[in-house]
Amino acid sequence: MFESTAINSVLAVVLTVIVCFIISTLLPGIERKYIHARIQQRIGPIVIAPGIMAPLKFMFKENVEISSPVPKLYKILPIICFIVVLCVLITLTPQAYKIPALSSLVAIVGFLKVEEICYVLMGSLSKSVMSLRMPFPDLVKGGAHLNAQRSFVEDISAKRSLRMITYGSFPLYLALFAPVTAARSIFLQDIVAYQQANGPFLFTVSGAIAAIVFFIGYMIILNEYPFSIIKAKSDVIEGPYMEYAAKYRSIVYLTRGFFMFVLGCVFSVLFIGIPPSIFSWGILVNIAVALIFVFMMGILSAFSPVFTNRQLLPTILGATLLGVLSIVLGLL
Amino acid sequence: MGIKSFSRARAIHVMLVYTGGCNGCDIEIVNSILSPRFDAEQYNVFLTWNPREADVLVVTGPVTHLNRKPLEKIYEAIPNPKLVVAAGSCALMGGVYKNCYGDIPSEEIEGPVENIIPVAAKIPGCAVRPQDVLAGVVSLLPTLLDAD
Amino acid sequence: MDEKVPRSNIIETEIPMGTVHPAALEPYRVRFFVEDEIVQEAEITIGVNHRGIERIMEGLPVQKANALTEKICGICSNSHIWNSCRTAEMGLGIEIPERAEYIRVIMGELERLHSHFLYLAHGCEVLSHETFSMRVFYLREIVMELLAMIGGNRVQYGCSVLGGVRPRCELDEAKILRIKEDMDKVEEGLTDFANRFTADPIVMSRIAGIGVLPQKQAIELAVTGPTLRATGVARDLRTTMFEYDNFDFNVVTQPDGDVKSNLLMRALESFESIKIIRQAIADIPEGKLVNHDWEMVDTDITESYIEVPRGTLYHSYALESGRVRHCIIRTPSMANIGAMQYACIGDQITDAQLCIVQCDPCFTCTDRAIEIIRR
Repeated sequence: MFESTAINSVLAVVLTVIVCFIISTLLPGIERKYIHARIQQRIGPIVIAPGIMAPLKFMFKENVEISSPVPKLYKILPIICFIVVLCVLITLTPQAYKIPALSSLVAIVGFLKVEEICYVLMGSLSKSVMSLRMPFPDLVKGGAHLNAQRSFVEDISAKRSLRMITYGSFPLYLALFAPVTAARSIFLQDIVAYQQANGPFLFTVSGAIAAIVFFIGYMIILNEYPFSIIKAKSDVIEGPYMEYAAKYRSIVYLTRGFFMFVLGCVFSVLFIGIPPSIFSWGILVNIAVALIFVFMMGILSAFSPVFTNRQLLPTILGATLLGVLSIVLGLL
Repeated sequence: MGIKSFSRARAIHVMLVYTGGCNGCDIEIVNSILSPRFDAEQYNVFLTWNPREADVLVVTGPVTHLNRKPLEKIYEAIPNPKLVVAAGSCALMGGVYKNCYGDIPSEEIEGPVENIIPVAAKIPGCAVRPQDVLAGVVSLLPTLLDAD
Repeated sequence: MDEKVPRSNIIETEIPMGTVHPAALEPYRVRFFVEDEIVQEAEITIGVNHRGIERIMEGLPVQKANALTEKICGICSNSHIWNSCRTAEMGLGIEIPERAEYIRVIMGELERLHSHFLYLAHGCEVLSHETFSMRVFYLREIVMELLAMIGGNRVQYGCSVLGGVRPRCELDEAKILRIKEDMDKVEEGLTDFANRFTADPIVMSRIAGIGVLPQKQAIELAVTGPTLRATGVARDLRTTMFEYDNFDFNVVTQPDGDVKSNLLMRALESFESIKIIRQAIADIPEGKLVNHDWEMVDTDITESYIEVPRGTLYHSYALESGRVRHCIIRTPSMANIGAMQYACIGDQITDAQLCIVQCDPCFTCTDRAIEIIRR
């Protein structure tokens, strides 16, 4: 009896993950084709191009020697990122609620932190040809500050990701803990049960404010356009991902789409109370939430330039204050 | 058509390298990719600035002396299979700059691009027209699809 | 702020960018010296594009040399060939037919439009604002089509020849009508864009007060063109050129010298260009296009300055038995390099490339043999 339940649960989780993953690969294409291209009044690529075809193409490319002081660690990092996202999704499935240590908000926050730390390591380990390794006779007689320490552009990116860990991801974590004030428990099981009994948390005042904060945090952790300072094109080009080629780049591409979907699922679990499960119609809500988030993100990113530290700090401060407000409202 | 060719035909990443032309070709190529009028993305051609991501390298200009080594390095950084498109008459044959010192070999101009890296497609024109750039990049597809 | 001073003592980090970088449309090297992401000093190295075009021109017949000057720059090619012909005409004493003069002005102003649109689009792209960049590129396409219609090529039209303009560039009724219609389209589109652009709070917070070039320093650095006018100095060479005597236009200035002033400067100047083009097509005189009635003589060094989209362009020629004996070209970006180095001091490294772009660099023009003699 117990064995068959375990096998059924594992099967359900695996099926859910596979379905979610397949849907998630479409999201970058939808953002590019139906939102960005439409706003910019052009035709745009086919929907499957950025999310599915590009990773597949990179799979078939030959591997090159990566320029990095610790190439093995650097290559492992995108795989860690992918596994982390996968773990977050598994945590959200109802079958995982039986393991209390895994299915709590603390676990989700921990997983997301790992993801952020990966960006720091990626940035500091990448030594691309596009910055300091570009051969040019710079250090010649008459040059300015010949004894200054020279650094790669990715190093700036690593410093920025470190800064983002300290304050950038604050809004997202505050928003994650806002539902706790209503459910009075950090376990996902209780949060879901509370919302199924009392209606979605989203439709309370505290929940609505927290949803806005969650959306800002979502864009910050996905490094999408206004908040993409760690990979701003005008100075650090692609930031942490500069050196990934072939298979590793394809994992980077897949992770991005998957992460978009999983964060949408996090929202639907915490704010609407519908966990992703292949055996219920609730998964349609998950997909719809993920799509709505992608649409909103696409519209906002098409109409905004990249933020520098000068704009980033007030924005994040404002979002953090809103998050605190939502928690205070929830506690009252 | 296998899955390899199928995916390659639907995502082509293009990187641009300017090696000291007169800016005419450069602007026309940027125009063909950024302008909604030509919109290279409808042919699934994406612009990238990272050699690790690129499949096709578009080179313009007669390679000047200081641009030679960066061009070589960037070419090396692109993972296989990779192809090079030389755009504009300067990149094809050195243009008006080729024999600028007459019989004395020029120290400034190292080009045409063929002297430095293997070229797969050539787009003539001074300056190249955006339509030709798109046609040139898309015409590389068969070569790209059959590559290992 | 009166003056920006670079730090001279030891600084923390150096970040080199270039010669290939997404924010730069052309190869050049820039080294930023930063402390906590704030730029303390910048050093721009040009010479990456040096091809020695003046060396090729020496010894060529003057007509061929004129055609060759177009290859200096693909953005402001018409201004080079215009000034080159103008220099030779001044030396040889050639009278230009009035109709040819008008067509030259129309081409010059169309080129100013396309150059300013390119500037706006590139500025938006460096801001990472893809949508605005594409909207400007879409407007620019109208101007490019007009240039292709008149000159026969999208870039490097070769409009001016010695003594007038090429017969290909004749403006008949249909062409004038099309220019008229397209000017309306461009004006409408640009008005829409400018209104949308200035009303966007996010974009304004990115560009207002960034990359300030103080007026005093701009004058000291001998900055030219719209970059100087954006700091509040109304200095435009078009007011002194005889070609522009019949036209009524304003010299636009902006007060601040930051990126916002520079971007608005270009947009407002485009409206003045549209105004000039409308006046020119309204009262273009009849007559022939080329004056063949002249003789080749040896000339001493003749100099000519004109206002091109980026500032003051200088050409000088000396002719001997129909061939160029001496030739010097000084492009506006040469004067503006100093401004680029100073503009980015004190700003975030993310804005640094934007501060360089705000001075409208054209390093491919600039890279030529220059000998600075200090006395």
